[in-house]
Amino acid sequence: MANLRPFRVLQPTTLAEATGALAQYGDQARIYAGGAELVLLMRHGLLEPDILVDIKRIPGLNAIRTTGDVVRIGPTVTHDQLEHDAGARKLLPLLAEAVATIGNIRVRNVGTLGGNLCFADPHADPATPLLVHDATLTLTRGESSRQLRLDEFLIGTYETAIEADEILAEIQVPPLPVGFGHAFLRIERYHRPTLNVAVAAIRDDGHVGAARLAIGCVGPKSVRLEDLETRIGGLTLADACRVIGEAKPELTELLDPVDDGLGSAAYKIHVACALLARGLTQALGPS
Amino acid sequence: METSTDSPATVQTMPLTVTVNGIVWNGEVAAEEVLLELLRERIGLTGTKRSCESQVCGACTVLVDGKPVSSCSFLAFEVGGRSVTTVEGLQSGDRLDPIQEAFIRHMGFQCGYCTPGQMMAAKGLLLANPDPTYDDVAEWLTGNTCRCGCYPAIARAVLDAAEVTRRA
Repeated sequence: MANLRPFRVLQPTTLAEATGALAQYGDQARIYAGGAELVLLMRHGLLEPDILVDIKRIPGLNAIRTTGDVVRIGPTVTHDQLEHDAGARKLLPLLAEAVATIGNIRVRNVGTLGGNLCFADPHADPATPLLVHDATLTLTRGESSRQLRLDEFLIGTYETAIEADEILAEIQVPPLPVGFGHAFLRIERYHRPTLNVAVAAIRDDGHVGAARLAIGCVGPKSVRLEDLETRIGGLTLADACRVIGEAKPELTELLDPVDDGLGSAAYKIHVACALLARGLTQALGPS
Repeated sequence: METSTDSPATVQTMPLTVTVNGIVWNGEVAAEEVLLELLRERIGLTGTKRSCESQVCGACTVLVDGKPVSSCSFLAFEVGGRSVTTVEGLQSGDRLDPIQEAFIRHMGFQCGYCTPGQMMAAKGLLLANPDPTYDDVAEWLTGNTCRCGCYPAIARAVLDAAEVTRRA
């Protein structure tokens, strides 16, 4: 059937109205922004909402603002918009580069950062660099809000900490510390990432001064590799890459990859380590 | 009244005014109606093709306010007050768009099924970037699949069209 199963559309003009609709209709209602994932699920009968709560008519939700040097991104900002935003490109080049790789040009014109994060597909791109940035989120219900770190927000496959009557109202992204280089590397099939890594790092007299490492798509959600970050601090690049290469067993334990159509678990871990090492090299820049 | 068992009844319709290929269309659309259906079935513009219905293949590519979208997954009511361009809108009277002429010159098609989508994606590219490199073209058209394998000819056509357009 070429058209979708019938539904009603509500078009609230405030966040409180929107969360009120979620509270009122419960399971029957879904937030609708770009619909990049939602419409797909509806077409395949995996979701059958009776009501779509279109949040694109709430003023300000598609804004990219800066407070100090923290970039505040509204949930309905599209990937294309973020990729080309002058402020985001200047303050958050890692994130801007990463969202430019999402899906394809058509998906990027409608898909939103908020929708991407709330859908929490393991094979997604923005969460990985956002973890390197130590991003935080604002979740709103009615007139009240709460703040979460992104790593607290992401729980598992298609699972986040958002409540049924909450809306993701804003994503706050601090820039990387001064002097940090960055890299975002990924491999993909069919317009979705098989694996991605985000790295930010700074040299200290020929050694790794500090590094932030995040990996996505291999486990149920993107994660920071804090233990590995600590172990490579102070090492030469060559030693750091060796340590990364030797981290295969611990990464396998941490990420619990599966054999599937995108590759064997061993393949994924092998590529993960290769991309982490390449990313670190790229982030540290020429010596 | 339809009694087809596989067409559940619409529960909400919305008025819609949209400019398609420069011509204003007014009507009512069901909330669940997708742009592809509106274009093909209601307006009669069958140049835009249905294929994967998953935003992967690009056969349904049209421009909304100059930007490429997957019309298979774009709710029709969203184009209210906006401008949509389909492959039928590329030519101006009898004058073909440089993209169309370049696709003919370079044989950028075999079966032709992906071609409207390829050309609309290309149009979107040249609106955003009138001087793309080969890599720019390849990257932008990543989302347009050609099972006949015409990719090199398509890329040459787009680069040629870009040059013709710049010289015009």
